[in-house]
Amino acid sequence: MSFHLQLAARPCSPAAASEASSVTWGSRHRHPICVNSTKLCSAAAISSPLKLASIATKLSSNSSPSSFRCFAALSPELKSTLDNVVTSEKVILFMKGTKDFPQCGFSHTVVQILKNLSVPFETINILENESLRQGLKEYSSWPTFPQLYIDGEFFGGCDITLEAYKSGELQEVLEKAMCS
Amino acid sequence: MAVSKEQVESTLKSKLNPSHLDVIDTSGGCGASYSIEIVSQEFEGKRLLERHRLVNAALAEEMKHIHALSITKAVTPDQWKEQEARKSQQDA
Repeated sequence: MSFHLQLAARPCSPAAASEASSVTWGSRHRHPICVNSTKLCSAAAISSPLKLASIATKLSSNSSPSSFRCFAALSPELKSTLDNVVTSEKVILFMKGTKDFPQCGFSHTVVQILKNLSVPFETINILENESLRQGLKEYSSWPTFPQLYIDGEFFGGCDITLEAYKSGELQEVLEKAMCS
Repeated sequence: MAVSKEQVESTLKSKLNPSHLDVIDTSGGCGASYSIEIVSQEFEGKRLLERHRLVNAALAEEMKHIHALSITKAVTPDQWKEQEARKSQQDA
């Protein structure tokens, strides 16, 4: 069974969902590499040009708790918005925190790799937007963050990016993307 | 609710039939973070992304309770033999 189906089958009411997520949040963040800081970064989460910022605003406006749908985190609207977002720049990183203030060790790693390669990239802070965060998991069929998109295509999470960086594959893919 | 290391291991064993599997609990006790090294014939002919997807899909149920899953190795038995041989050469 695919991960997509698993997600869609998870039952929960909006109230239970917000309660559950806050509980899980606290316990999950005992992990040393992740800083508990959903509220720390409410301003200026998206280090990107206006184009992306406006998409982000649109996303935020969709995220009122009453419209939180557990049965399909990825609404058709969100899907088409994401289609636009991932193709709006050559390299997009959906991460926890921002480029300058990553809030998770794995996100930090990918930011460092991209900075090392001096490629231009935009980041979107998924801690800012719960429906974006849940929707993206389905959109990418990937359960965790960070999620790296190159040339509109999902490239991988932290492990894959790190391994591809070490092998040189990432550099090749990026070069190709920059020239296209 | 935490997921035990044994649970992660048994799920991966039953779904991906690995010839080598190493699951390390990196959570420091709360059971929400694991690092996995897995060798399976299932990975043959698949790109790294697809291999990770296989592992993620196998652990879909567990992933609801796992915060961080790091797949440090997802290789085929042949690749594994090669890597081990290289390692022992370096050690020698």
